[in-house]
Amino acid sequence: MTPVLAPMAGAAISLSAVPDPVFSQAMVGPGAAVDPAREPGVAVAPISGRIVKLHPHAYVIVGPDGRGVLVHLGIDTVQLKGVGFDLLAAEGDLVPAGQPVVSWNPADVEAGGRSPICPVVALDAPASSVLRVAAGPVHAGDELFQWG
Amino acid sequence: MAERKITVESEVGLHARPAATFVQTATKASIDVTVAKLGGSGAPVNAKSILSVLSLDVRRGDTIVINAEGEGADELLDQLAAIASAT
Repeated sequence: MTPVLAPMAGAAISLSAVPDPVFSQAMVGPGAAVDPAREPGVAVAPISGRIVKLHPHAYVIVGPDGRGVLVHLGIDTVQLKGVGFDLLAAEGDLVPAGQPVVSWNPADVEAGGRSPICPVVALDAPASSVLRVAAGPVHAGDELFQWG
Repeated sequence: MAERKITVESEVGLHARPAATFVQTATKASIDVTVAKLGGSGAPVNAKSILSVLSLDVRRGDTIVINAEGEGADELLDQLAAIASAT
């Protein structure tokens, strides 16, 4: 079992509620999402492991067991080309779950006409392996789901 | 061994929807299929793994090489090439 943590405070919602079919239809993988608080904040590592990919708007952390979790900061935010995102870690870093990775402001993303909702995806996982998905208010670092 | 060399034209590279579609298509096949990025480490990775494909970090304009062997390899590679080269 891998506990996967909420990368930021907000409301835990179902992946199916994400306004992008790539995520809502679980094309990338199963998981959950956080509708973040509309205030400046940091996105933290959902699991302990190595940051194998770090973009301003998305990152992937792979645990020692080889399991990878993707955090995507808002929808279509690749179009922002990094503006409004500050990296607090580097690709290749080993980080404990809960360590800040990117700072950003969901309110700015929303003001720019994009959804700030953050999918958190278990990569290469069967849908049945995502368990105990949280719903409702979460703090950064609260358990979002269990990867069984 | 069948092979295709493709320049990725999607604005987002092999990320997001193109990556998900690519991996979904590869996963449906019963044969092994790999993808490598030219100019990167060069090591081929499993095209059925979204983690591996996202980690390749293929950007627009990058060239990838996809390989498959066995029954239906050419058809599969044609499908994957079409996904990877779509704008």
